[in-house]
Amino acid sequence: MFIALIKKQIKLLLRSPSEILTLFVMPIVLILILSYALGPLMEGDSEMTIIELAIIHHEDEEEQIQGFIDALPPNVVLDQKTSGNIENSLPVSMLVKELENNNEMKELIHVTQLDAKSLAEVKKSGDYDVVLEIPSNFTKEYLDAKFFDQEKPAFNVYLNESEQITSTIVKEIIDYFQQQYTLQSELSESGVIIDHTALSSQKIHSTIRSVDSLEEVPSSVYYTFSMTVMFMLFIAGTLASQSFIEKNTHIFDRILLARIHSSTYLLSIIVSSILFSLLQVFVLFTFSYFVFNISFANWELFLLLSILFSIVIGAIAALLSSINYRSNSAGASNLFSTAIVAILAFFGGSYFNISSLSPFIVNVGMLTPNGAALDGYLKIAQNGSLNDLLPNITVLSSLAFLLMLIAFLLFPKRGGIV
Amino acid sequence: MIEVVNLSKNFKRVTAVEQVNLYIEPGEIVGLLGPNGAGKSTTIAMLSTLISPTDGDVLLNHKSILKNPSELRGVLGVVPQEIALYEDLTAKENLQFFGSIQKMPKQLLAERIDIVLEQIGLQDEPKKLVKHYSGGMKRRLNIGVAMLHEPKYLIMDEPTVGIDPQSRNHILKTVKTLNENSNMAIIYTSHYMEEVEFLCNRIYIMDKGKIIASGTKEEIKAVLSSENTVHVKLEFHSKSFINDLMDQPMLSNINAKEAEITFTVAKGMDFLPMLLSLCEKNNVILKSFQVEEPTLEDVFLHLTGRALRN
Repeated sequence: MFIALIKKQIKLLLRSPSEILTLFVMPIVLILILSYALGPLMEGDSEMTIIELAIIHHEDEEEQIQGFIDALPPNVVLDQKTSGNIENSLPVSMLVKELENNNEMKELIHVTQLDAKSLAEVKKSGDYDVVLEIPSNFTKEYLDAKFFDQEKPAFNVYLNESEQITSTIVKEIIDYFQQQYTLQSELSESGVIIDHTALSSQKIHSTIRSVDSLEEVPSSVYYTFSMTVMFMLFIAGTLASQSFIEKNTHIFDRILLARIHSSTYLLSIIVSSILFSLLQVFVLFTFSYFVFNISFANWELFLLLSILFSIVIGAIAALLSSINYRSNSAGASNLFSTAIVAILAFFGGSYFNISSLSPFIVNVGMLTPNGAALDGYLKIAQNGSLNDLLPNITVLSSLAFLLMLIAFLLFPKRGGIV
Repeated sequence: MIEVVNLSKNFKRVTAVEQVNLYIEPGEIVGLLGPNGAGKSTTIAMLSTLISPTDGDVLLNHKSILKNPSELRGVLGVVPQEIALYEDLTAKENLQFFGSIQKMPKQLLAERIDIVLEQIGLQDEPKKLVKHYSGGMKRRLNIGVAMLHEPKYLIMDEPTVGIDPQSRNHILKTVKTLNENSNMAIIYTSHYMEEVEFLCNRIYIMDKGKIIASGTKEEIKAVLSSENTVHVKLEFHSKSFINDLMDQPMLSNINAKEAEITFTVAKGMDFLPMLLSLCEKNNVILKSFQVEEPTLEDVFLHLTGRALRN
């Protein structure tokens, strides 16, 4: 009996060309268009990501070190290890090494080292996004501050503010550099002179790597997910509208007269929605698998998230059906399909990646079912673990439970429109 | 037996049904007659447990079913006024679906589908989508679905609305045969007097939410047993002629539709000289006149002062 309800629902949907077009063809077309049209922008294939950094030296670092050693009191003797540590911990050398040896940095920042005479010309030309000016005696003063508790020297940074994004990136790098520099100074002040070199950039660097360890997501993958979660929402509206037709034409009365409880009927809407959602996921991901070669390392997580999101779709369909039945009109499902899906899609990041917007919008997006699902899919694509998915699972489970509860409470127990 | 006891239904401030009492025994066809808006469909919806009454009770074999409608639903088939079918399924698929949700065994369902398709005359086109059927075919399938599980009581709410005369005749014959062959009790609501007269043993006449008359056809017509109905056809419509007719104290229930006029007159009363003199006075040519025994339509007119299909 329950299977008859589901079979009927599947037949009806598959025999409706307009629904097939909306639920299966349109998302495929949009995935193709968006992947190719917005792909290069998303993947950063533009010149703005190459940052020109000029380092202007007013001094010779080696001469400065030698000057510092020569000026040391006779009772202070530096062994070879300490001398080596001093050379390795000099801030300017560290920065240059970091930028030149790090492959990711090399792709992002192009470093040019120049002498003091070029400063005025460099600042005027606008060829550089950032200019780092190292004053004379900077290295010696830095070592004096470190070993003899003298005042810390400063350096100048000039940013080309017209290049908003690149300036922001460089500010971040300089901040990181300054953090390192200050930390080392403080450690030396605490008397951990020898050990400070052990606090190499390597350790902090590894932390940063772990943040970046989530792989980049190509636009085709992003739009496969974003369009899938958006178009899955339409299933809820479609099935709720269909169920209202059953009420309007008294088919629902016939179902009740066949001694089927109204809750069983509502449950059949939920299960049908879940099956359709999973079918839609299967169709869209199979398409992307063949066209964009999308695949996942962790299929179990992908399946778990798909099932969870499909349950939420079922819960939305049930809620919309309940409201339609209560209000005796298809207004709720129509409003959902024509307006609310678009709003959810915006906050959920279906049109573009909302992580560049305000944190508030990002948080709101995470509370939408499609936003939570999209974020979850992206984490899976970036080889995220079950732990990474816990917030998404929590949001989706809570939404499913809450929406279903309201739907069952609202759904009328009798039929009859007179 | 199904009984309806003092059944009332209020929608906000509107009383749709007021203190209705009726019953139906196994094997009989009962007509529920009344104009649109009389409260027939609301009564049917309460009787079939689809809406709760504001007051009163529905009994099956003297037992109230309001709290547990399942027992009544098990012996009931309902043909709603609307086409309650899936347009994108075939006739056979519709029957299969509604049979499955009735939990009919597969074998029995297959047999019943063939029988029902034949009874409703759709055996030649069972695999056609319902949306491609004519209005009459849809109506017949609408009935077929309700009788698929062989209910003891079949409630038919205006099953012939908006269909061609041929399909209408087919439906009426099907209903009659069903009742005769399977002893299925039928409650038939309509505002077509002739359908109710043709089918029903007993009749309830409803108006403005109340039962205004009930009994067998003969009992109801006996309300007008001392009168005859006269149908008059004129060459053309004349307002002054009708006004003059209305002034005649010997005539009652005068109902005029263009050049056709109906009135009742006491049996044995010689109305012809009066009629001819009024024709002459108003320069009206009398085409024909016919004296008949009263119909249910005349009874309804007599009881309410209105025609059924006004």
